[in-house]
Amino acid sequence: MPAALAVSSLHKRFRSRFGRTESVALDGVDLEVPRGEAFGLIGPNGAGKTTFIKCLLGIAHPDSGDIALLGGRPGDPRARARVGYLPERLALPGAWTARAFLASVGRLKGIVLERPAIDALLDRLGLTEAAGRRIRGFSKGMRQRLGLAAALLGSPELLVLDEPTDGVDPLGRVEIRQLLAAELSRGATLFINSHLLSETERICTRIGILSRGRLVRSGPLEVLTAVQQRWRARFAPGTPESPGLLLGLGFEPVEGGAWELAAADPTALNQALDRARTAGAQLVELERASRDLEDVLSEALAAGSA
Amino acid sequence: MKTGAVALDLLREAAARRWFLALGLALTALLLLLVTSLRLEVVDGALAATRLFGKPIFHDIRPADVALRPVFLVASQMVFWCGLCFGVLACADFAPALLSPGRIEHLLSLPVQRWELLLGTFVGVLTLAAGGAAYASGGLILVLGAKTGVWTGWPLISALLSALSFGGVYAGMLAVAVWVRSAALSAAAGASLIGLGLLATYRRTLLDVMGEGLGRALFAGVTALVPPLGKLADAAGALASSAPLAPGGVLRLILGTLAFAGGLLALAAWRFERRDF
Repeated sequence: MPAALAVSSLHKRFRSRFGRTESVALDGVDLEVPRGEAFGLIGPNGAGKTTFIKCLLGIAHPDSGDIALLGGRPGDPRARARVGYLPERLALPGAWTARAFLASVGRLKGIVLERPAIDALLDRLGLTEAAGRRIRGFSKGMRQRLGLAAALLGSPELLVLDEPTDGVDPLGRVEIRQLLAAELSRGATLFINSHLLSETERICTRIGILSRGRLVRSGPLEVLTAVQQRWRARFAPGTPESPGLLLGLGFEPVEGGAWELAAADPTALNQALDRARTAGAQLVELERASRDLEDVLSEALAAGSA
Repeated sequence: MKTGAVALDLLREAAARRWFLALGLALTALLLLLVTSLRLEVVDGALAATRLFGKPIFHDIRPADVALRPVFLVASQMVFWCGLCFGVLACADFAPALLSPGRIEHLLSLPVQRWELLLGTFVGVLTLAAGGAAYASGGLILVLGAKTGVWTGWPLISALLSALSFGGVYAGMLAVAVWVRSAALSAAAGASLIGLGLLATYRRTLLDVMGEGLGRALFAGVTALVPPLGKLADAAGALASSAPLAPGGVLRLILGTLAFAGGLLALAAWRFERRDF
């Protein structure tokens, strides 16, 4: 089965109206997103994230490079029929009701939607009471939910979401995360573009960092956030009797009462732990030391600009 | 093919716009005014007396169908020219709204071809124009038919010809909007096409008085392409009033307008397919 997304050597430049100036939006992006994954694309403003999404969906035409969208071409409506998309700033018809909007999107997707199916989808997004109301009276969060409902129509194999939780209150974000988790367990692939790093970290299992049109980091979240050759250990309270013993063995105290240790390989790690246990320490928790996504992004951007 | 779905959405959007609500209300009010204030006395198929707001307006006795011809002629001209002007103003925003940021991205991500979006918009506007013209003409047929017993379907055919003429103008407006997303420029293009259409009507006369040169060649070239709206309006009037008409001439006008609209739509589709959003 082909990857949900496979992009190679993607280039896109924008020229001013009279061709006087040119800006590089995408500069040779290579990326593959396996099916069933939750992929998060992060990067600073102007990095080319939205342009990348637009190229994926055939909204913008790349200058060069190849894109395979669920094995098809972005310009092929059959491929796009299997994709649900939430744009960054979705313009909704204010005079329509939520039901009428979803029915319209359904028609354009070629899906025959009965009213119960529309109502069930609106219920899933927490919009039951707003189903018959005109969209112009919706809050930003409600509009975002309605856009998400439109993206979910027809149970697409790939969901491309540009800032899905933008404008949604904290409680709503939890609900959307749960909903996206349900989509993932259904087998859908998620491609999320968000500037909210904590949200991305909570939803996505793979991350790509885009900077100045280049993909500067890409891979599983735990690998990107892992600090190579460093481990975090937690010992039972009061063990060993003197914390100075651990300091002498190369452990460094970190916040929350944990200790970090540099170990080049598993053998060195186990030897250090054995020495700690011999000194009376009782190990209760061990994990690879990690950073949050913000640190990873900062480091990647600094490396990219160097 | 999703053209129908796009056209349907446009009609739904139009239904929510004040312009079209106002047009519907104005036409209905006008027809109701005619129903209540126009008195026609028909004796043995002849119109014996006509009273508007209680005052007699025609005194000569004529066959009712003959007497109604000028009424249908004037009505068809009003539907034609007022419809064109109203359409240019009221429909100028449809294409720019379709291409607005946040909406076009969503539409293009759906399994719809770009040309289907464009054609659907055109079909929707054409349906709107035909519906409006047919409502005005059909209403008049009903009112006058009920009062005189003279029933004719020709004003409806005339209304369709008016809608087709607007189709030629709207194709130009749509093409401009695809290039530059601006309702004002789209309306300006429509107004310019109406002006050019009038000039094209008197093309031969104007060419006769123009001196040789680039200007004349340019004028000849442009007015050869633009549908002669004056001739189309005359044809619509002749159809509505059951006046004699050369079928070949009308057919040529219709085919010319269709070719003009088709050419502009093809140009718009070519540009639309290549545009980034």
